[in-house]
Amino acid sequence: MAESVEPPRFDLARRIRWPQEDNKIPREIFTDPDLFRAEMDGVFTGPVWVLVGHESEIPKPGDYKTISMGAAPVIVIRGANARVSVLVNACAHRGTRLVEGPSGNVLRGGFRCIYHMWTYDTDGRLIAVSLPEDFPQEFRKEDYGLPRARVDTYRGAIFATLNDDAPPLLEYLAELTGGLDKVLEDGALEFLGSIRVIFRANWKLYVENIYDGYHVTALHTGFQVVRLRSHGGERLVPNYERNGHLWGRSRSTPVNQLTPALRDMSLFDTRTKPTTDHNMMVVFPSGVVTDYFDTIQMRYVIPLELDRTQIEFAFFGRQHDPEEARLHRVRQGPEVLGPAGAITLEDAAALERVQLSATARGENVVLKGTPKRFPPYRHVDEAPIRHFYQAYRRLMGFHSDDH
Amino acid sequence: MLTSLVDAQGRKQAALELLVRYIRIVDDPRRLAEWPDLFGDSAEYVVITRENHERGLPIAVIRDDTKDRIIDRVTIIKNFWGAGGRAEDHHYNESWPRHIVGPAWVEFTESGEARLGANFAVYATVQVDPEPRLLALGEYQDVVDFSGEIPKFKSKKVILDTSVLQDVFVYPL
Repeated sequence: MAESVEPPRFDLARRIRWPQEDNKIPREIFTDPDLFRAEMDGVFTGPVWVLVGHESEIPKPGDYKTISMGAAPVIVIRGANARVSVLVNACAHRGTRLVEGPSGNVLRGGFRCIYHMWTYDTDGRLIAVSLPEDFPQEFRKEDYGLPRARVDTYRGAIFATLNDDAPPLLEYLAELTGGLDKVLEDGALEFLGSIRVIFRANWKLYVENIYDGYHVTALHTGFQVVRLRSHGGERLVPNYERNGHLWGRSRSTPVNQLTPALRDMSLFDTRTKPTTDHNMMVVFPSGVVTDYFDTIQMRYVIPLELDRTQIEFAFFGRQHDPEEARLHRVRQGPEVLGPAGAITLEDAAALERVQLSATARGENVVLKGTPKRFPPYRHVDEAPIRHFYQAYRRLMGFHSDDH
Repeated sequence: MLTSLVDAQGRKQAALELLVRYIRIVDDPRRLAEWPDLFGDSAEYVVITRENHERGLPIAVIRDDTKDRIIDRVTIIKNFWGAGGRAEDHHYNESWPRHIVGPAWVEFTESGEARLGANFAVYATVQVDPEPRLLALGEYQDVVDFSGEIPKFKSKKVILDTSVLQDVFVYPL
């Protein structure tokens, strides 16, 4: 068979040699621009469900937010009938970006393209075009709606897929629903706001960092300063044979047993839950859901370029929160798990350094916890990273016949 | 009448001098420990995106709403952030901030409170990157407290123009 008829991603899989051992990661996958483009199709429009938001971010009819599924800009919108849709943010005529900015409401007026004044309703139906005289006779507005992603929600979390072969959402999430149940409860959240920041690292480095329990005490010095430790816990990889999500759970030292290194220790306090248990999850490939201390957070990972990734940190409270609980979450969330927070900031420094030297050929290696072949792992293990890359390799067509 | 005019003029000058003192300190990471002294005892320091500010969403990038939290910020920068060195004289990412501020304006409210505003750009020169980075762009919306011996900030609100931060924030803006 001629090479030209094979999909390009198989060429890449041949060009970049993935070592036989599944705990080794070739650095080229962080520096190859062709691979980055192939990932936008192979991963983000593959048979995956991408976490794109929570219903509480768009509570009213006509409310929308913008986000990207890989390289595809989309609008997540609550329609006039209250149903959530995910529409491609490009006019069906000449591909113009329809809405700018992170959020808004278009209940009145819908989306009107500035270029030729084509107008769409909140369900993405084309409802008006300017001066349609001399259009081909067969032109019908019904044929020019905005492309829509398949959408499903789980306890208010909104997932979308651009691939007809994606399994039903519940099948895709599998046992990860156990963790989502704990964090999202009945789904009745209040959106408190987002912070978006650019990490100067490849998107995979950002995501694999969440699977890595090893760096937590090494890198995040703040935990050592206050002597905060995890007392037990585990790193599960639900559905690892297929999708490689992560569900890390552990129990941390209560605030009254910490070294009071700060005057205000509410950063590390758990007030809204009976225990200090928390969950940290990755919905493969690019969603993060956590309830660290009292901070309920989702993160949306958006690859911008090979070495630039936008992370949106979305913070939530519960609708039934008393005022003091709400204020506590507002004061704690960004201060712990935000881009100026006591903990998260260091990940940016570490990942940037990994990216900077990824041009040195060779392999990154995963060791801690790897003698164990399958989950559950200990919460301090980095071994779950392997399962992220197993899922990734399957989607991208890298050979994985070694396990 | 004359005294109050002189008073207003003096306060305006004092507010602008406070701003300059602030910039001199936040531009020099070695003087970080002096930063909390620029704030009064019931002061707040808030960094928030214009998007959240205008939508009324409470999530701020930084919400140091008590003097304790302002003092804690120095502890976090010096003792918590290990990357780039654990000792307090090391700088995270070896970054050097530079504030470009202006114009600055002072307005008095009916109650005599001085509102100090200024446009700013903060660049960071980072050792890992040969190019200086535009870290933040926006506006200060401050309130100056004249009740003590020297004027201090009663409130310092840093409104960021961009919804997407170009980098993580280490030192105060």
